[in-house]
Amino acid sequence: MKKRMITALLVLALTAMNISGCGGSAKSDAPAGKGELNLFVWTEYLPDSVVSKFQEETGIKVNVSTYSSNEDMLAKVKSEAAGAYDVLQPSDYMVAQLIAQGMLAELDFDKLPNFSHIGDSYKDPSYDPGNKFSVPYMGGAGAIAVNTDKVDIDITSYADLFDPALEGDVVILDDFRAVIGMTSKSLGYDLSETDPAKLEEVAGKLMELKKNVALYDSDSPKSALISGDCSAGMIWSAEIAMAMEEVPSIKVVYPDEGAYLFFDNWVVTKDAPNYDNAITWINFIMDPENMAMVLEEFPYLCANTDAIAIMGDDYSNNPAKNPPADAIAKGSYVENLDSETLDIYNEMWTKLKE
Amino acid sequence: MDGKRSKHEFRSNTLPAVVTVGPVSLLLLFLVVAPLVFVAVMSFCGTDEYYNVVYSFTAENYGKLLSVDYLKIYARSLLISFITTVLCVLIGYPFAYIIARTKSKKRQLLYMLVIIPFWTNSLIRIYGWRSFLGNSGWLVKALQFLHIIQEPVDFLYKTGTTVLGMVYCFVPFMVLPLYTAIEKLDGSLLEASSDLGAKPVRTLFEVILPLTSGGIFSGCIMVFIPCLGYFFVSNILGGGNTDMIGNLIERQFKSANNWPLGAALSIILILLTLLLVKLYQRLGGDMESLGV
Repeated sequence: MKKRMITALLVLALTAMNISGCGGSAKSDAPAGKGELNLFVWTEYLPDSVVSKFQEETGIKVNVSTYSSNEDMLAKVKSEAAGAYDVLQPSDYMVAQLIAQGMLAELDFDKLPNFSHIGDSYKDPSYDPGNKFSVPYMGGAGAIAVNTDKVDIDITSYADLFDPALEGDVVILDDFRAVIGMTSKSLGYDLSETDPAKLEEVAGKLMELKKNVALYDSDSPKSALISGDCSAGMIWSAEIAMAMEEVPSIKVVYPDEGAYLFFDNWVVTKDAPNYDNAITWINFIMDPENMAMVLEEFPYLCANTDAIAIMGDDYSNNPAKNPPADAIAKGSYVENLDSETLDIYNEMWTKLKE
Repeated sequence: MDGKRSKHEFRSNTLPAVVTVGPVSLLLLFLVVAPLVFVAVMSFCGTDEYYNVVYSFTAENYGKLLSVDYLKIYARSLLISFITTVLCVLIGYPFAYIIARTKSKKRQLLYMLVIIPFWTNSLIRIYGWRSFLGNSGWLVKALQFLHIIQEPVDFLYKTGTTVLGMVYCFVPFMVLPLYTAIEKLDGSLLEASSDLGAKPVRTLFEVILPLTSGGIFSGCIMVFIPCLGYFFVSNILGGGNTDMIGNLIERQFKSANNWPLGAALSIILILLTLLLVKLYQRLGGDMESLGV
């Protein structure tokens, strides 16, 4: 009897060691100071200098993880334990999806006085009426980049990227909503087309694009343009601005059909263990001085009008950094799709990449 | 029956068994068996409108795998892995032979030439290839300097580039088992062959290759199988436009967010792997030379 007890205890102890070993390590990382903050943000979108400044000012330890598509982010957040990330940076349509799935916490605007620096036209967006869950950060367009030294044809629209003259010479975002949306646009359809008959036509058109695309890249698509491996592409507008600084013959084109637009936002996850730190961070990043630091490094379209005032003409008059108002007016945002249409999109994407 | 005694023996055997084998079994149970069962169960699940996993039985995921698009990707993966394996043998065999037949000090150096890159992160090495082969990379510059080409040539983002990256990644996996096999080769057999009048070519095909076939076998298995599942080489050097099974699986777990389909794809890959290992055993391969 005694021996059996000992055996049972040993097994129990072993199991307990296993379990506590798993649970304990996560907590022991936390420093004794002001606690931690776990950010999950886009690659090439938040300068380290701004994060360090926040750490120095507040004493909060920041852990930054990155992603390169909204869908990747969603998959990662779902697969991690609840509360693994405090703050996310989803685009417009993904904010709506996260809200619909009850994954976000409401923001406490009493503690976000810097919200006043956000331009009125960026407040109260259709994907989050009344800004209950999100505040806008930066955005831009999936614009066309073209190296005028290397490309002979005149490029004014998404449709021109399908021209056989560009065979094997195009870089596009590794983002199925952007690429399929752009293709729909080139045929005169909606960015978030749902009509199956039209989508069949889009699928055919994508096969033309397949011949032209050399590289799918959402992390740093400018690199292939700068190195000369690609001569044209559909990439983030600010990436074009950065490429233009390295290679002057690269130009930005906002397509005739109207560009694919995106706007990214700060949100806090439902089970965020560091909710107060998250709010402190969001208020910090909305400070015009800090936002201007971001724009120096990643010159995207900015919702913070007071930060733009600090930036001056170099930012405001550069069409790749600060997209012209008519390009924004003509463009459209991605909308959420029903699951059947999403299946069709995924199928098209597999065909494109097979 | 003398239940009391055997019971006692049974008990006294249990304690040491639990203490020694227990931790390992628990580890295997939690880290190998449980995840595999989880993947297998998930492959039969469905999804809701947000692509959350719904635990209800469906064979739909396996049905989808039979579509032409997926079959094409499977076929391409098998082809790329096959070509990679053949190239690895062609490059790895002479190299392993040279290492095994070199005198002691130089041998260590040659051995390190294989091992050191093997210890370096493969992702970094693949990015290195990307800048080396790029339009403004060293290869193009060198060829232009030598007047072999005038205009830059596009080396990157082709299926061939993917194969190059794969071969580069996997040559060490081929060289190491080959080296072990060739080192065991008895030199006096080669002398005997030559004494009996065989030309070097005949010695190679009738003595050396048959005696080292075990190493070739295990090298092929060690290259072919992981090659099937690799995804970052085709993403970085292939530009993401020539998908392999690995890319397909990666996408289901990330951007497409369809875990049950990804699980089904993984199960098929596991079955394919088991089939290959079984085949290897059938052909007389030794599991120990796989390093498992």
